[in-house]
Amino acid sequence: MATYTLSFPDRASPSAHAAPRALAHDLPEELLLRNALWFCRLRWLVIGLFAAFGVLGLVPGLLPRLGLRPPGAWPLVAAAVLFAANLAWLAHAHTIAAKGRHAPFRGERWNVPLFQPVCMNLWAQIVADLVSLTLVVHHVGSLETFIAFAYLFHIVLSCIFFPRRWSLVVTALACALYLGTVALEEAGVLERAGIYADASLRELMDHLPGVRLAHVAWAPFTWFVVWYLAAHLSAEVHSRDRELAETNRLLLAAQEERRQHMLRTTHELKAPFSAIHANVQLLTKGHCGQLPAEAQAVLGRITTRCRRLAAEIQEMLQLANLHSVTQEPLPTAQLDLAAIMRWSLARVAPMAQERQIALDADLHPAPVWAVEDHAKMVFANLLSNAITYSHPGGHVRVEVAPQHGGSASVVVQDHGIGIEPAKLPRIFEPYYRAEEAVRHNRESTGLGLAIVRQAAEADGLTVHVESEPNVGTRFTVLFPPSPPRSPGLGKGDTPPSAVDGALSPFPSPALRRKENADGVLADRG
Amino acid sequence: MGYLLIVDDDEDFAGAAAKVLRDAGHEVRVELDVPSAVRSMRQRRPDLAILDVMFPEDSSAGFSLAREIRGEAGNLRDVPLLMLTAVNSRFPLGFSSKDIDDCWLPVDEFLEKPVDLDLLCARVAGLLSHARAPENRQP
Repeated sequence: MATYTLSFPDRASPSAHAAPRALAHDLPEELLLRNALWFCRLRWLVIGLFAAFGVLGLVPGLLPRLGLRPPGAWPLVAAAVLFAANLAWLAHAHTIAAKGRHAPFRGERWNVPLFQPVCMNLWAQIVADLVSLTLVVHHVGSLETFIAFAYLFHIVLSCIFFPRRWSLVVTALACALYLGTVALEEAGVLERAGIYADASLRELMDHLPGVRLAHVAWAPFTWFVVWYLAAHLSAEVHSRDRELAETNRLLLAAQEERRQHMLRTTHELKAPFSAIHANVQLLTKGHCGQLPAEAQAVLGRITTRCRRLAAEIQEMLQLANLHSVTQEPLPTAQLDLAAIMRWSLARVAPMAQERQIALDADLHPAPVWAVEDHAKMVFANLLSNAITYSHPGGHVRVEVAPQHGGSASVVVQDHGIGIEPAKLPRIFEPYYRAEEAVRHNRESTGLGLAIVRQAAEADGLTVHVESEPNVGTRFTVLFPPSPPRSPGLGKGDTPPSAVDGALSPFPSPALRRKENADGVLADRG
Repeated sequence: MGYLLIVDDDEDFAGAAAKVLRDAGHEVRVELDVPSAVRSMRQRRPDLAILDVMFPEDSSAGFSLAREIRGEAGNLRDVPLLMLTAVNSRFPLGFSSKDIDDCWLPVDEFLEKPVDLDLLCARVAGLLSHARAPENRQP
């Protein structure tokens, strides 16, 4: 027996289908926030390094043996100050993130103003880092060590995350802080410091003004060159990103336009077809008098084709509606799958009767959160599929049962023609029909399982198929345990709906009340 | 038996539906646009109105008409309404969720096009007998 599973565990978030992004100049707020959090995580490493250096400095004789001066308290003080600041920035960033979850960041909000909380957070981190780094530079040795190149980390990161002018501000700030420190040291305002135990390198520089100047100038010169290169490359990448976003937007728009056109065309077909169908009924049902047997036979053929065309139009509309990305998402509600299955069974009962297929149902209450219309589509299509590909006189078994953890499973099993293993992965493609399926039934459209696939994808359902040619096919649908993510849930959850007696396409509470009062559960059309 | 008003811009469909309903013993009037339907209803109150949803210049004119009827001060507000749709999804072309909000839309019954005319007759009979039941009569 061959099996195939259609699973959508990493269902794209609703925003993946959201409105196309506008042309962007900067990074979107959500990405900046991720960067802010990443900065904070990275800082734990730096804090750890300072703390480790401070602790090593406390071990008697260890650093002097390596030619370094014991640093005193500054690494531990720096670690403590950065630790406290990092906690504050993290808390602030998490607050912004929580607000973002409450009112999700809009995809098009790319051009983030300077005074947005997330930007203030990033700027506070960068400025504080540069100031801390300057103090470290002073203590480690501003001229005789390479510590000044540590400013490059912030310069390059600001080039990646910020627009060019902002990264230039960061570079200029780094220069000002560094040159200011050196100037204060030269002027004797700041006492000279350094980690090298041997001060001869610095003393040599003191005697060679040209070397000193070259050392002072070399770092800022390198920073500006790196800033220019990184900002230029970053701008190129951003520009490419924007082009791709725009191309993607146009593609999505074209795809949506095509779908809308298809939807409109199909709908336009349905209106005249309804008139044809109604007038054929006038003839077949004798409203225009008795017809000769031959005319009745002709009308019988027309009626059969009408029914096929009606089903095809219906399925094309369903599929186009499911595909449509601009359509409002349907709200999820708490449903009893057993009740939905009863409704679906009632719908396919005439078809089963016509083909002499017995429907054997074992339904247990199975409450899940799902989209009612999608669940109905999935069940109706799996049932009609099972009936269509059963042999006359056969039977279709249906099971609905709750599963552990709040999920539920639905099984639709037939003993019909089955599917060849090689063809199993293709059965969910629109219009795909295996040769033996066409031989068995010419009336099927090949869209039923494509509708199942779309509805399953929309709601994060897993569809498992087991099949063996000439033995039968068993479809198992697994509903997820928790409410599926739905943008429609934002405004408050949809109240549980009574699906027994629900009318498709538009259930009306007034009607349900009346029907319940009358005890009528007639054909739902 | 009752006096029925069919409001549908598709004359061929409306004509076929009217023929079947007349053969079932009802008196039927067909209006092909919404303003004529409103005039006709004000002249003579139908026992039941069968409304299409989409009209050439307004894809949800049927919904608007249904609301207008329910908002009438006179005796039209309790006319049973049967809505015919050529659409099969809750959020189809051009309709907003407002149009098909369960609380907002005061129609009594829906049938999806293409319509089985026997089913249409059955639904009409059901709605008429329900409207005539003593407990459902307006004082």
